[in-house]
Amino acid sequence: MVSRNKLDKKTLDKTGILSILYQTGFSFERMQAPSFALSLVPGLKKIYGDNEEEVCDALLNNMDFINTEQHVGSLLVGLVLSMEEAGEDRTLIKSIKTGLFGPLAGFGDAVVWFTCLPITAAIAASLAQEGSILGPVFFFAFWTLLSFARIWIVRLGYNLGANAVSSISKNAKYITKAAGILGVTVLGAMIPNYVSVAFSEDLVLFGTVGVQSIFDSILPNLLPVAMVAMTYSLFKKKVNIVVIILLIIALSILLTFLGWM
Amino acid sequence: MEITLFQGLMLSLLAFVAAWDKRWESFFLFRPIMVGTLAGLILGDVTTGLKAGAIVELSYLGLLTIGGTVPPDPLMAGMMTVVIAIRSGVSAETALGLSLPFALLMQWFVIAEQSLASVNNKYLENALKERKLKKFIRLVFLPDTFMTLGYALITFLSVYVMQDAITSFVSAFPEWLSNGFSIAGGILPAVGLGLLLTVMVNKDNWPFLIIGFFAMTTLNVGNVLPIALIATAVAYLIFLRDKKQDEIKDLVENNGGGESDGI
Repeated sequence: MVSRNKLDKKTLDKTGILSILYQTGFSFERMQAPSFALSLVPGLKKIYGDNEEEVCDALLNNMDFINTEQHVGSLLVGLVLSMEEAGEDRTLIKSIKTGLFGPLAGFGDAVVWFTCLPITAAIAASLAQEGSILGPVFFFAFWTLLSFARIWIVRLGYNLGANAVSSISKNAKYITKAAGILGVTVLGAMIPNYVSVAFSEDLVLFGTVGVQSIFDSILPNLLPVAMVAMTYSLFKKKVNIVVIILLIIALSILLTFLGWM
Repeated sequence: MEITLFQGLMLSLLAFVAAWDKRWESFFLFRPIMVGTLAGLILGDVTTGLKAGAIVELSYLGLLTIGGTVPPDPLMAGMMTVVIAIRSGVSAETALGLSLPFALLMQWFVIAEQSLASVNNKYLENALKERKLKKFIRLVFLPDTFMTLGYALITFLSVYVMQDAITSFVSAFPEWLSNGFSIAGGILPAVGLGLLLTVMVNKDNWPFLIIGFFAMTTLNVGNVLPIALIATAVAYLIFLRDKKQDEIKDLVENNGGGESDGI
């Protein structure tokens, strides 16, 4: 019988800080596996004490493929530690972790990458374009705060246990949808704010009517919307991003060469 | 403006630190708005750094590493846009287009590194089987040590060693060509936004795209924050409604099951 120590708050908080380095050693084959195992080290050392064999065996059990959103990764680290501490069967730990990382990744991506990033980037960019250093300062402060929030996320994963984390992943669909609504609204607002394209004032029809003023009278910011619609449909058609960027550069050069823009 | 050896070294140090953070995706120092501002600071022109960083940030907004895919490199795009804009005296929009080859170079570098790092997993497992914990920890950090040093080296070569070559290449451009790049810089954020749309928009939430666009075009708010606040309120109401609806549905179904033999 292997003896197990209880985890204390200090060890859990150390784990939270270490999990800021999550994704170290990333590779296409196992993705985040090495860093998931790395995050477990302080906790396992506490649980098994000097029994380094047991620590290494537990780590080996966590060297399988895993790819999830990085903050969600911290939640699973806390969960796995609570199960190791309770002496759960390793196959069970592995299958619970493997079953959860996919659904939780969708939730994490929706909240962090598709909501927090566009909104913080939009706010920081508008401040920066006015020449204010507050833009990047705000941006950095937000993400630093979210990095250290992993201390709390690890605690959450540890305290909730497997059943509760499963129920989070069930509830996640509501939050994912709400985050999507927020993200998409802001995205709509960003189109007129950040895409700037207009025909040259010198480009006129019949000698008097400016082409751009025709577009403006139909709908302000029609050209920026058209540009986003174009890139969107090209992405939907699986056109390579580099081709799209080069296409835009070529088109812009052609239009300025003709004196249209 | 000539880039001094000291500035070149500082920029490669910045690339080294930001590359570690790019691996972790923690402090978001690797995003163009941060790299651009800090590069501007090192080169003594924060205003250009801020402005160029903002433009690159928006263009690379949708280019995320979701699910292990590798997009053109945002770190290097932010770095080179600011360096080219300040060193060669072109507009930030023009410099954005010219930074693309460097962003692509780093994309290929990262793909190669993440493929090679797969070999490391075998050694990691062997270290654990031999019960050598310290060796395991060292090996976890090994591939990214090479990766981040690669970023530092390539940055140094691009910003310091090649600076004259890049500048004479850029200054040989006729006016219509650099104007064309400048126009492209205004349109390129559409790439970032279009790509985000493909992952975010679905049949339930597309009306909010129109609402957001309409609010920005008609309300004179100048910043997306007020619109984000209204959207948060609406999203919360919809969150409550959906949850309630499913609870009622569950309740009805459970009751239906209980009474099935009674009716």
